[in-house]
Amino acid sequence: VIWVIVLLVVVLLLVLAAVALYNRLVRLRNRVDNAWAQIEVQLKRRWDLIPNLVETVKGYAAHERETFEAVTQARARAQQAQTPGEVAQAEGILGAALGRLLAVAEAYPELQASQNFLRLQEDLTDTEDKISAARRYYNSTVMHYNTGIQSIPWVLVARPLGFGEKEFFSAEGDTAPPQVSLTPAT
Amino acid sequence: VTLQQQIRRNRLRSGIVLAGFVLLLLVLAGLVGAVFDLSLGVIALIGAAIYGIFALLRHRSIVSSLTHAHEADPEAIRPLRRLVDNVSIAAGLPKTPEIRIVDDPAPNAYAAGLRPDSSYVGVTTGLLRTMPKRELEAVIAHEVSHIRNRDTYLMTIALIFAGVIALIADIGFRSLVWGGGRSRGGGIIAVIAALVGFLLAPYAALLLRLSLSRRREFLAGAAEILNDPEAMALALRRLQQDPTTIEYADASTAHLWVESPTDRVVTERTGVSALSSLFNTHPPIDERIAALEEAGGFRLPEGVPPDTPFWAELGRE
Repeated sequence: VIWVIVLLVVVLLLVLAAVALYNRLVRLRNRVDNAWAQIEVQLKRRWDLIPNLVETVKGYAAHERETFEAVTQARARAQQAQTPGEVAQAEGILGAALGRLLAVAEAYPELQASQNFLRLQEDLTDTEDKISAARRYYNSTVMHYNTGIQSIPWVLVARPLGFGEKEFFSAEGDTAPPQVSLTPAT
Repeated sequence: VTLQQQIRRNRLRSGIVLAGFVLLLLVLAGLVGAVFDLSLGVIALIGAAIYGIFALLRHRSIVSSLTHAHEADPEAIRPLRRLVDNVSIAAGLPKTPEIRIVDDPAPNAYAAGLRPDSSYVGVTTGLLRTMPKRELEAVIAHEVSHIRNRDTYLMTIALIFAGVIALIADIGFRSLVWGGGRSRGGGIIAVIAALVGFLLAPYAALLLRLSLSRRREFLAGAAEILNDPEAMALALRRLQQDPTTIEYADASTAHLWVESPTDRVVTERTGVSALSSLFNTHPPIDERIAALEEAGGFRLPEGVPPDTPFWAELGRE
């Protein structure tokens, strides 16, 4: 009889441990998903700014058709991207197209003087800052999660339960890991 | 030691300190009960509870008025609003905190609020006038990490406890001196014990509160949110080299600020400056800088490089 009780207790403890392990993984994964949702919020903000920006520039520089089309196409493609890798690539192309649009706009002094345009440009810069802030948080949650599923004892249960590694979100010109300077700042 | 472990350890310590507050409150009520009347001790406890609940509900405006912070016209501080938003997003806060301005030439900042979604950051105009953008970001990240790690929650509760204890001790002391206790059996010894107890209780409360914030200042780091420990170290050096101290620094709010105003406060209050290292709310700035240097593997130069303050971006002189 004693052995049965011992066995039951051991099984119970194992089940409890498994539940605790599983819950931690779920928590880490939810944090990654939430962080990704935050990035999507900011990306959407940028997409929403673009038609307005294009219309404004059109008002002054109607003949720059190709540039407008490039931006509109890049935007449509970015909205269809799914995985972090795809999104990063599509958003990189969109960023470059926007850069060309703003470069074109440089040539029109009246446009540069327009309050509306200046405000849009400011909002665009702000949104880009927010995207990179959200990206920083997302990447830190991914790092936590990935370290989590690779360390003992989670590594034993993560894969069978369907917890795969998550992808980092890197942006153009931001692929290098953060460097800590070794020399004093001047 | 990982950050998670450190936070867990910190939580344990906080629990002990809070238990200390409760114990102190019970001792005080016990003293009141012993020298006056048992029912008075109970009344003191009930009064403390009511005060505590009221203070919890009103804590935002209480801290605001203690520190002379006010809300600002959103249009006038748009760049600052953006900076705070971006830092909060990078920290993964569910909601970006409000901003309150303290009109004071001394550079300093604090965070207050019980929950991450109802918190605010207080900054002095002096901070905006002194700090360049990168360092201001580091200071804000420091405050945001206080909000994220729930430090503000604990500090607010500590502030309320300390207030209640000071109140009861004060009333007890005064009524004992002016009214005289109808000492119930304990005689003169009980009265003297109670007098000493009432006198010392606020200082015991202060010590408890300080032991909380000192550890927290080391933990809350810009380093982990912005990945830029150097900016935080520079900001601290700049704060250190600035000779001004905030005007409305008060013993009850000293532990909230990023740069401790207590050296002055404590000396004024107790008249004993030798005690000040015991009563410090924060680890010395040099130690904080050294910790950042070690974490980031860099060394700060002696002086701080001159830089354009953020103030310019707000379009002010």
